[in-house]
Amino acid sequence: MHIPDGFIPLLQTIIYWIIALLFIALALRWARKELSEEKVPIVAVLAAAIFAIQAFNLPVGMGTSGHLVGGALAAIILGSPYAAVFILSIVLIIQGVIFGDGGITTMGANIVNMGVIGGFVGFYAFTGFKSAIKNPYVSAGIAAWFACVIPALAASVELWIAGTFPLVGGMIAMGTYHAAIGVIEAVITAVAVYLIWHARPELDWSTMSQAEAGRVTAA
Amino acid sequence: MMETKHFVIAGIAIAVIIGLVAIFFASADPDGLESSALVLQGDKTLTGETPPDAELAEDVHDGFSYESPMPDYELPDTGIPGQVIAMLDGIGISFIIVLGVARVASGKKEAKNG
Repeated sequence: MHIPDGFIPLLQTIIYWIIALLFIALALRWARKELSEEKVPIVAVLAAAIFAIQAFNLPVGMGTSGHLVGGALAAIILGSPYAAVFILSIVLIIQGVIFGDGGITTMGANIVNMGVIGGFVGFYAFTGFKSAIKNPYVSAGIAAWFACVIPALAASVELWIAGTFPLVGGMIAMGTYHAAIGVIEAVITAVAVYLIWHARPELDWSTMSQAEAGRVTAA
Repeated sequence: MMETKHFVIAGIAIAVIIGLVAIFFASADPDGLESSALVLQGDKTLTGETPPDAELAEDVHDGFSYESPMPDYELPDTGIPGQVIAMLDGIGISFIIVLGVARVASGKKEAKNG
């Protein structure tokens, strides 16, 4: 769902860049306040894995392929939507600047869609489903599906405002493909959350009380 | 609990394996956004296969264009070795830049070993 240069007029891309920079500043504040020394290498390895898995396009039928976005994964593992903004912003900058995946002018929009919307939808859908169905891994999978589909619908609205896609046709096409791609996002996210939280149980904030979470952060 | 050093090594190893497998097995079909654009420009049906000659019109709006050093995750004209180098570069650069930014942003000069 990386929007290329030329899909959004220059003036509109500036607005998305401003929104993206605002959230990047908030993500840096999150890192300063919440990111413990012990978690720094975990954040970095998560970024490396998200880069690799984003490059792996799996067929989803309908002549289309898709890959994990990773916003929900980052937000769920690290317990904050700002973790997704932090990791996805840097990964998207690297993809755009070095590998030509996603535009430079449209990078702000891509950060807003995949990092900000993906991260916030992934995080809050996870906490919502987790409190309803209790199972953290199923909740992570469902949250990841929404964190793939909703950013795709946001992108189709942005492309409608840009005059590139028609509104209804764009939402039908983007929604259909990303509903299928979201299944990949859901399965990989659920498995990855399971593996990571079993390897490092202290990262599993979802089963901790507030006091326990505070102790782990302080440790 | 897996130690941080082992967790990082295992994580990087998994990323490298996924990245290398992707080079050989990734689907050549367009992604969701590209497929949508092809449908909307009339080169593809919603649920049909993508015609091999379908080409994405990227210059909808005039303006900025940029040539990246490794477009499509490969060194230009180098085949599979160029794709492996690009993939390893991407994984390494992502790890190092995020590690550096996270250290600086979190105010820690050096991460603990183990």
